[in-house]
Amino acid sequence: MRGPLGSGARAIIARAAGADARARAALRTAIDDAFLAPDARLDDRTRATLGALIATLTSAIEGELREHAGRLLTTRGEGGLADLMAFEAPPVVERLAAAGLLRDMDFIGECVSRIRAEMIGAALPFAASDPDSASLLARLAQSSDRVVAGAAAAVMAGESQRRAAADGGSLPGTGLPAPLHARLLWWVAAAMRERLAEDAGERLPALDRAIAEAALRNLAMRDDNDRLEAAAMRLAAAIDAQGDELPALFDEALRDRRVALFAALLGHALGVSYELARELVIDPAGDRLWLALRALEMPRDLIARIGFLLCEADPRRDVEIFADTLEIIVAVDAEAARVAVAPLRLHPDYRAALLALDARAPRR
Amino acid sequence: MNALQPALHPVTGRTDSAGRLTDADPRLLDLIGRAGGAIGQVVAIPEIAALDRLARRLGIAIARSIVVADGDDDIELEVRAEPDADGVLLEIGGWRPRPAWRNATAAEHRDGDFVAVEADWVWEADAALRLTHLTLDAGARYGFDAAAMLGQPLVKLFALAEDREGGFPILGAVAAQMRFDGQEAELRGTARKVRLSADPRIDARGHFAGFVGAVQMLCEGCAAAAGAPDGAFPDGFGVRLDRSLRRPLERIIANASSMSAEVEGPLAESYAGYADDIASAGRHLLGLVDDLVDLEAIEDEDFSVAVERIDLADVARRAAGLLSVRAAEGNVRVDRPAADEDLPATGEFRRALQVLVNLIGNAVRYSPTGGMVWVRVERDGDRACVIVADQGKGVAPRDQALIFEKFGRVDPGEIGGSGLGLYISRRLARAMGGDISVDSAPGQGARFVFTLPAR
Repeated sequence: MRGPLGSGARAIIARAAGADARARAALRTAIDDAFLAPDARLDDRTRATLGALIATLTSAIEGELREHAGRLLTTRGEGGLADLMAFEAPPVVERLAAAGLLRDMDFIGECVSRIRAEMIGAALPFAASDPDSASLLARLAQSSDRVVAGAAAAVMAGESQRRAAADGGSLPGTGLPAPLHARLLWWVAAAMRERLAEDAGERLPALDRAIAEAALRNLAMRDDNDRLEAAAMRLAAAIDAQGDELPALFDEALRDRRVALFAALLGHALGVSYELARELVIDPAGDRLWLALRALEMPRDLIARIGFLLCEADPRRDVEIFADTLEIIVAVDAEAARVAVAPLRLHPDYRAALLALDARAPRR
Repeated sequence: MNALQPALHPVTGRTDSAGRLTDADPRLLDLIGRAGGAIGQVVAIPEIAALDRLARRLGIAIARSIVVADGDDDIELEVRAEPDADGVLLEIGGWRPRPAWRNATAAEHRDGDFVAVEADWVWEADAALRLTHLTLDAGARYGFDAAAMLGQPLVKLFALAEDREGGFPILGAVAAQMRFDGQEAELRGTARKVRLSADPRIDARGHFAGFVGAVQMLCEGCAAAAGAPDGAFPDGFGVRLDRSLRRPLERIIANASSMSAEVEGPLAESYAGYADDIASAGRHLLGLVDDLVDLEAIEDEDFSVAVERIDLADVARRAAGLLSVRAAEGNVRVDRPAADEDLPATGEFRRALQVLVNLIGNAVRYSPTGGMVWVRVERDGDRACVIVADQGKGVAPRDQALIFEKFGRVDPGEIGGSGLGLYISRRLARAMGGDISVDSAPGQGARFVFTLPAR
């Protein structure tokens, strides 16, 4: 009675053959998960927000590519391909995640930092200002210095956009730094091509051309200066706060819950990039931030207030530990602090190389 | 309606360098007394004692909103602790009773959520009533430069109008630090009327720190439409409904489903059952949202369908495939068109699929256990027909017109469905140049025929 195996039976046998390896892989994941230190683990809210951000970024790019590539195809008489482009399909983010492409240190690092900064901003306590005086950015947006006014308005608009996107609105552009934007764009383009390749058949070259052109157009239309982070740095540079003006600006930026501006003020004062300054602000250990503030000769009261507010806004921080270390921080001499934070000001690529080397240091 | 009760005036107290209470206004002393404390002892309310100690260690004035138990009640306090040479000066405001169901940490965010749900777009302002956040898309939608309004006084965007008593609700709200709604205004430069509402932001000292607000567009004729007997929808109703309900519902369903599947760990059986109930009720509501969004779309004057070349037999097979799980759950067999049958027709693929999912879904729902649903395709002259027949209780001739009406239900006590499915399906079928008809007798099952122009 035994005939040749049907395709269903063959599939089961093939699956069974791979079962051992899959079970081991699942076990390895379980072991990794079981021994993750609690403070290294993303909390549920951060994890969900991260997932939502990645989905929003990829679908924003996908939507734009589909639309433009579809238009190109229509004008080139490739109506069939244009229809394929418009057909509903599962979001490419799932394919990119399954392929492991999204496990990219730079990309996820940027996304996690961005949402952490946004979450801290949303959790900072409200602080009433003098009712006769507008909040910091509202004042700066009315400044007679047009560079300051323009940059302040751009920061407010950028934050409004990000908040609307987080609430389910659309996102004009990804707001990612240029290299990361390009990387994500080409990933999405590749996933779209893969999905449509079979249906496109021999028209694949036309499809490739349209997708690639749409991607290049997206890159060409994009201006890095439009990013919220770039606007914040532009504002900090235009204000160019001197030593005695800086404490009040730091204070007000946090009271107004403008974390991006706070990070930009810090970055400009230290002479480091926005991304690095933001990393100092969101790092729950905080040591680098305290040293940086000491290097800038910020007074004790300001450091205490910044520490208190960040502890209130970020559940990963412990205000009691901060209170324990405050006197030690304040006792650090400004010059010693400057020496300690000097490596932060190295060229970013140089710093990255040193970090990479350090992570692979020979065991002694 | 004001969401917040007005705060009582703040009271003060003092502690010495060891955190012992040296002095307190009567209201504070009473509270501390009820908590078992007294002058000369460390403040008996742990949240206040912690803030007192922290202020002394940090050497700066700090403030926090806290909730303390007072007998059977919870009260919200805004505590400020300011250290000086002798100890700490405590300033305690708020004193609002807090309803037991309110979540301590999320309360103010949730107020903002409520504001956002009823809104066409949102705004925020600082204590000086300068705009600090706006839904930027609204500018493009309603004809103003939203980005340029950021940082500007609120009244530069909105020309406020007096209410019937000649007052401005927003001004009263600023003075009393309360929620306001019903502040009518004109969107400057656009002649559009809006209605504003907002929740105040109160800082940890109990001071007014700005508004989180919402804008409702008031369009010509909207007020009349809202009360119109045929239940016409206000502009953008479907979009708003979709935006404000879909995501929360999807969250509820996803979380309840993972609880009921015990994804995060075992649960008592009864709790898993409750979670299952929550998920299925959520799916029912989501279905209703879908129907209402569709309803608004098809009743719009501009509604149109795409004209596509479709294979109606293929659409019918796909619809039957989509319902195979539900059919299996009810132990109903769906006999779908054979894989080699085709029936070229004209219509919009997505909408034709929606119609057939509705018809086959109904047939499955009304089928007895072990029953059968037949899905047949045939060409009748210039019409392409799909016939969906079931073995359910059928539809009496007198009810056959009723089931295609909006919210038309034969048995009002019946559970499930919105009473919109067949109404929407027939409107869609007719918009595509086809129709849906029924023939049936009680006890003999129902037979629905969906037609589209053949090609």
